Amino acid sequence: MNVLGVETSCDETSVSVVRDGNVVLANEVLSQIDIHKAYGGVVPEIASREHIKGITYVFDQAIKNANLNYEDIDLIAVTKGPGLIGSLLIGINAAKVISLNYNIPIIGVHHISGHIYANYIEQGMEFPLLALVVSGGHTELILMKEHFSFIKLGETQDDAVGEAYDKIARVLGLGYPGGPVVDRLAGSGVDNLNFPRPMIQSGDFNFSFSGLKSHVINTHHNMKQRNIAINIDDFCASFQEAVTDVLVEKTIQAKNKFKVKQVIVAGGVAANSGLRKKMKEKITDIPVFFPKMKFCTDNAAMIGAAGYFQYKKYGKADDLYINGYSRLDLE
Amino acid sequence: MKKSLKRLAIDTATKYIYLALLIDDKEVASIYQVGDNDHSVTILPLLEKLLDDAKITLKDIDEIIIGIGPGSYTGVRIGVTVGKMIGYLNNISVFQVSSLALIASSSKKNKILSLIDARRNNAFMAYFNQQKNTLEYIKNDTLENIESFQQNINEKYEIVEYGKPNIKKIIKSNLLVKVEDIHKLTPNYLRITEAERNLEK
Repeated sequence: MNVLGVETSCDETSVSVVRDGNVVLANEVLSQIDIHKAYGGVVPEIASREHIKGITYVFDQAIKNANLNYEDIDLIAVTKGPGLIGSLLIGINAAKVISLNYNIPIIGVHHISGHIYANYIEQGMEFPLLALVVSGGHTELILMKEHFSFIKLGETQDDAVGEAYDKIARVLGLGYPGGPVVDRLAGSGVDNLNFPRPMIQSGDFNFSFSGLKSHVINTHHNMKQRNIAINIDDFCASFQEAVTDVLVEKTIQAKNKFKVKQVIVAGGVAANSGLRKKMKEKITDIPVFFPKMKFCTDNAAMIGAAGYFQYKKYGKADDLYINGYSRLDLE
Repeated sequence: MKKSLKRLAIDTATKYIYLALLIDDKEVASIYQVGDNDHSVTILPLLEKLLDDAKITLKDIDEIIIGIGPGSYTGVRIGVTVGKMIGYLNNISVFQVSSLALIASSSKKNKILSLIDARRNNAFMAYFNQQKNTLEYIKNDTLENIESFQQNINEKYEIVEYGKPNIKKIIKSNLLVKVEDIHKLTPNYLRITEAERNLEK
């Protein structure tokens, strides 16, 4: 089954063709990151304007690179949320036109189910599995007992992990996006600032990063006021160690409680090298999977993969009334 | 028998959604209805119904006319996305037209001020002359203070804020602009974003 994936929930215009949920025939991504850098974050109106500029070009590249015609597509899977509403609507309406034009079934897909299924591509899944979803908008632990069944075990009570990274990076003057640069500098720093590990023994599977973020920012502020030399690398290392300690520990607790056969990490922060290293070091009894680097950030291949399993599970498509949602529950 | 020319017109720059089907210069079906911030949900189902009623499909369309604004940013993007995709998928001729010209075409008056509210006493506006059913610009699409725009007009005119477009009038006019590269088609916003304005300061 050839699935045409469409993803425009934030600042990437992406179209893919994925066969049977795991063979990526094409995955075109038009990233706007260089445009939004000047503003220190994604500007929704600019994102929408960029999506409409590039939309037909990205479709054309994807279908050509897949060496197919639109008539060869069996299903269209488009991200319906959560995300920036103006951005989502461009991908959704473009996808609906293809559905009407070629009479191809269409389904709306949850963005996070896409991030989870990025792990299925070229890797596969074994159930029950535990998914740690970490990105600029999400920090969640999800239990999957079978394909396309999601039980949320816990989530962040305030900031998402990626959001905390971006805010810390801004205070340290490291620019946007903050994740990759903090990760890089952490590699040459030392964890010597004793930052707290919030909620690490809370007994549930929830997270909180707002307090840690404030603590890091206050520490930076105080050191500056008292003219204490600040080693940016150590700041990054101390922050990253604190964050990854919590993420890994909670994942281990959930893994043990639900006796899963596999742990997968999903979302943009799955690209974080510190998290990758610690997960693989601390979890040795079962396999830990991370998506291929190119499937960590937003992309349509993951939507094509998720859409395939969603369609298989429910056996029916949506209609042309699909809407976009800035907030949307996965379960 | 000569094959008939089938044209589709789309505009979503205001709170009204407009779809029309023309066969050989004759409007055979149209929809002009007020929406509730839901053009994104309704446009494809409405388009499907329009085509079904006429017993044709999207692939039968030979030309498409797209209202490219100015107007509601999110709104205009819905129609432009849909029109752009139809044009691209079927490799057909695409024409763009000002959404203000579409509004003006609904009027029968000689002098027409077409206006879409942009809040804070500002509006997207254009001023038109109409003689013998032929519509032409006097003042091009602009975004400015409503009063100061009006002060520069010293004659009798009608203000038109909505109205079902007279698409026959539009296709006879010089107001349609051929889109040479479909991939480059974007709405006419008439204003950079607030973030860009702040960055320039």
